[in-house]
Amino acid sequence: MINAVLVFNNAGQPRLTKFYTQLETAVQQRLISEIFTLVANRPNSACNFLPLPPLLASASKSSTPTTQHNDTPSLVTYRHYATLYFIVISTSTESPLALLDFIQVFVQALDRLFENVCELDLIFNFETLHATLGEMIVGGVVVETQLEHVVTGVKAQGRVAKRPVNESKGGGGAGGLGGLTFGGLGRGGGEGIWSGR
Amino acid sequence: MFEKSLYDLIRGLRNHKGSEREYIAESIKECRKEIRSNDMDLKATALMKLTYLEMFGHDMSWASFNVLEVMSSSKFKQKRTGYLAAVQSFRRDTEVLVLAENQLKKDVMSPTPPYIALPLGAIPHVVNPSMANSVLSDLIPRLTHSHAMIRKKTVVTLYRLALVYPETLRPAWPKIKERLLDESEDPSVTAAIVNVVCELGWRRPQDFLPLAPRLFDLLVSGDNNWMAIKLIKLFATLTPLEPRLIKKLLPPLTKIIRETSAMSLLYECINGIIQGGILEAVEGTSEGDDVAKLCVGKLRGMMVIEGDSNLKYVALLAFEKIVRLHPKLVSQQQDVILECIDDPDVSIRMRALDLVVGMVNADNLTAIVGRLMRQLRNAPIASPTHESSNERVRMTEIVPYADDDSDAEEHLPRHEHQSDQPPSLPDDYRISVIKRILEMCSSDTYGNISDFDWYIDVLVQLVRVSPSTRHTSASEEKGDTERSDDVGGGIGRELQNVAIRVKSVRSEAVDAAQSLVLVDRREQMFPTSGNGGQGVLEYAGWLVGEYANYLSRPEPVMTSLLHSNSLQLPSKTLAVYLQAVPKVFSSMAGNDQVSWTPERKTLMSLLMARIIHFLEPLSTHPSLEVQERAVEYLELMRLAAEAASGTAPGTNNGDFTDPPLLLTQAIPALFSGAELNPVAPGAQRKVPVPDDLDLDTPINPNLQHLLSHAETEGFETDEDDVYASYSEPMASHTETPTIVAPAAERLDAPHREPASYQNAVEEEYLDPDIISRRKADRRERYKDDPFYIETEGDRSGAVTPLSRIVRDGNRENNDLDIDSIPIMDLNLERASSSDHVPRARSPRRPTRKVEIMGDENLGPAADNSSREDIVQPRPTRVKKSLLEVDSSGLGSLSLVDDDGSSNRKLTQLDMERKQQEEADMNKALQEVERLRLEMQRASERLHVKEEVAVKKKKRKVRKVDVEGDEPASTPPVEAVGEEADAAPVKKKKKKKVKPEGDIEAGEEADGTVKKKKKKKRTVILDDGEGTAE
Repeated sequence: MINAVLVFNNAGQPRLTKFYTQLETAVQQRLISEIFTLVANRPNSACNFLPLPPLLASASKSSTPTTQHNDTPSLVTYRHYATLYFIVISTSTESPLALLDFIQVFVQALDRLFENVCELDLIFNFETLHATLGEMIVGGVVVETQLEHVVTGVKAQGRVAKRPVNESKGGGGAGGLGGLTFGGLGRGGGEGIWSGR
Repeated sequence: MFEKSLYDLIRGLRNHKGSEREYIAESIKECRKEIRSNDMDLKATALMKLTYLEMFGHDMSWASFNVLEVMSSSKFKQKRTGYLAAVQSFRRDTEVLVLAENQLKKDVMSPTPPYIALPLGAIPHVVNPSMANSVLSDLIPRLTHSHAMIRKKTVVTLYRLALVYPETLRPAWPKIKERLLDESEDPSVTAAIVNVVCELGWRRPQDFLPLAPRLFDLLVSGDNNWMAIKLIKLFATLTPLEPRLIKKLLPPLTKIIRETSAMSLLYECINGIIQGGILEAVEGTSEGDDVAKLCVGKLRGMMVIEGDSNLKYVALLAFEKIVRLHPKLVSQQQDVILECIDDPDVSIRMRALDLVVGMVNADNLTAIVGRLMRQLRNAPIASPTHESSNERVRMTEIVPYADDDSDAEEHLPRHEHQSDQPPSLPDDYRISVIKRILEMCSSDTYGNISDFDWYIDVLVQLVRVSPSTRHTSASEEKGDTERSDDVGGGIGRELQNVAIRVKSVRSEAVDAAQSLVLVDRREQMFPTSGNGGQGVLEYAGWLVGEYANYLSRPEPVMTSLLHSNSLQLPSKTLAVYLQAVPKVFSSMAGNDQVSWTPERKTLMSLLMARIIHFLEPLSTHPSLEVQERAVEYLELMRLAAEAASGTAPGTNNGDFTDPPLLLTQAIPALFSGAELNPVAPGAQRKVPVPDDLDLDTPINPNLQHLLSHAETEGFETDEDDVYASYSEPMASHTETPTIVAPAAERLDAPHREPASYQNAVEEEYLDPDIISRRKADRRERYKDDPFYIETEGDRSGAVTPLSRIVRDGNRENNDLDIDSIPIMDLNLERASSSDHVPRARSPRRPTRKVEIMGDENLGPAADNSSREDIVQPRPTRVKKSLLEVDSSGLGSLSLVDDDGSSNRKLTQLDMERKQQEEADMNKALQEVERLRLEMQRASERLHVKEEVAVKKKKRKVRKVDVEGDEPASTPPVEAVGEEADAAPVKKKKKKKVKPEGDIEAGEEADGTVKKKKKKKRTVILDDGEGTAE
């Protein structure tokens, strides 16, 4: 299952924190900064999987290797879009490559909702960000991976606010997360998402 | 008053660069006011702002009641805000959870889908067993809701319910199964159910076998890749239980591998084939060969594909899973795997490192270790300043800084974080590389090593590339031997092990130890920065002492041991040094073939004076171990110095004058007992308890008297006795030097207690002299004592039956040469059957026959299970990882319809755990009850003593004062509440020290004393309540 989803920017400022277990606020912050330290030093050519941050690594050593799976979070997957890092912490029951696709769908959904999404949209509409995630994951289990369904689900909860007009400097010139990301990966339809890799 | 929206807050943050802290404090203050207003809009906005700030680490637990208020709003937007705040801020100890339950139940029953979705998403975050029990009945009908979105979320929510309250599955599972089997169900819902089944599946795979046909259909027909991946993962746990599935699964899986365009699905197919044991099942058949070739081929393709390091990473993961079972398949890919050891990406390196440990053999060991060593040597050791680049991050732990909007709007070209030059290796990676090297080399009792000179060189080299250790002083005091970042100790242990087990390279190993100990070579031997690798000194010190006769330069070694730098060493190392000093001394002074000339006398006196000078300050060292050893040897050296000065030297004309016997006989005898051999960790337990061993009779029936006597006696006389016991018999032994120093007599008592004797096994390496002394001392007296194990080095000639067993057992092990160690043969076989592996080893092997001593043991080698619980009793409960969601509760609940079996299926562990939990619960309940009664009594007493009316008034006034600061922590119990009010700002513990409330409230003088008592009790009660919950 998925233990946490985090979004923070290039400076390590959190934009979304979602822990599927109850965790002290201070510990949450420590974990975020540990992961940021790990992720910020990686070149773009590096793979999208992180070694476990110290907070998680200590306990995972004692896990029993006898069973195929266990409850211990063992996988930290991330993707870097423009100014934002998207992080998913999960157990071994999740597939690493599929999680990469999952993050992609999440970002695509945001892009669809905000039309050329950028970090500012997420700052000012962090409720929508949570709502989008809530359509995809409930309690750490993925409930939806189809882009259309996610977008419809969020829209059903009400109008999605746009970023305040005076916040945007460049208008069309400001490249969003989506624009940057999908150029390389090919923007497919609902079905094409999974063949993106 | 001007009210800020969330938008204003964020704007404000961005405009207050540098003074965010003040701005945020101000904003939170405003929120505190706004959230108490009656205007729901204002309340919700304030809550939204708080939730936003919570993301940066600002506590909002105090607002939990307000969260509840907003949750109960009838407007969707406000309700959503409330639910989000609840999810983000509610913790296990949030008190309003009980109240939230009703709200959740109410919203689950709501007629509008978006309203239902809110509690469905929130329940997993806040659920506890009692809440689960209560909302269960409301959730189950939602499984058949007309809206697919509600159905799928309900399924998942029920799963989370089951994690804390496994009984959930009894009513819920049949319904979920019904949904799964319903072919007209919305594909989204089916996929969600599959996700849940996959999570449940690995806990209780047997329960899901009946579903296999439906799951198989879904796999074949499905067009949802995410679901297909989950199904494959699920099948991988099912196939071991139902081998017939393999035949059925293989065609669709290979079809997917060949056809799919999604790399993730392709990878998971391969992974499923590996994990499901399908490779083994079809091994040998032509079909099996094809599958193996297909899988490994694809994995290899992933490794070599350019520019996608993710594939490399996951391929390594997959290889890691097959390496134990199919080393051959993996070793064929050795070339590409070894490349990954040097990959610039640390994640990939780590995976490769894990993998090579599994695939190492005698042929590739040198190459692999060489690669890793090169890596360690070429990368600079990270200096502390390196980490400062992320200082800004660390600050966020407490203070969130203003949003930096310069980045947020424009798309930045991805900026490179690293320059081209090889980065310094992070310390933890460095440590793990060193540990892996040691692990690979020492596996199978050095089965893979053919050249021990090389290994010793490697070890010495490893010391130089060790990262500096952190918190040395702190962890040292704790005596924590397993501290993760002390690799120096690990290297030292290896050096020691090699020196003991491999006699043929002992002198080389001692040479290495000598070079490490020498102070004037310290710069050269150890990394220049930090104190990296110094843990090795503990072992090097032991080696130079124990094998002092192998030393090529004993004088400089002695000088180094006595160097003032040694005083700065950790106490554990210093204690070892102290032990080494007399050993080296005895090898330098113990020669009885050389005449006692004036020069020799001067030299020896000088040497002893230096030793005494070194030891004297240590006799008051804070570490008891150091102190004890220092005192012992100080006395010994003083005696020896006396003896030396009292023995007149002969003239230089060639006549032979006997040196003092104390130097040539007594002191060497302390250290030259039997040879030390490795003992198997479980061997001690196998020593049979003799029938006539009486542990009940007191050793000294007069103990009570002695103790009381000792108490009445002054300290000084006591001390005199101690010294007397040292010196008196010692004097007599200078005349009869064959008997060993009587200090050993003090060890006799502990020897009779099994507990303390058990310790001797662990400390054997550290205290070798104790064992040898004890042996020499007891040789005569305890010939038939089974605790006394004779070793081969024993020259007494008296062979007890027991020692013969030991010796015979040893011989068997000792005769093992490197070629007959099983794993080697295995590898030889495998390697020869594979043409891909270069074979370089065979010609060299027979030229050098290395004898490696195995562990000594009694009877057959201890099986691992019994060994483990002797050596390291494992804690029954493993420490839970931070984010872990414990699903172990599911293990005990059967989902299969034919019930009654569920109870039998409880594993032993579950039973124990349950009993333990029940016992704990009973204990806690009793404790709560006891405290309640006590509190009741206390409050009754209070009522008698004081005028209730006055008191109440007072309390009310104070409460108002306090509320703003910590309303959330107001404890529920009345007496405690009063306590908290009395001292609002202080922490609870402080109250004990500062009973301000007493002075304030205790107007009646006569009540003060009794009240103090009562206060203390309530404090305890408060703690007790906290833990009981």
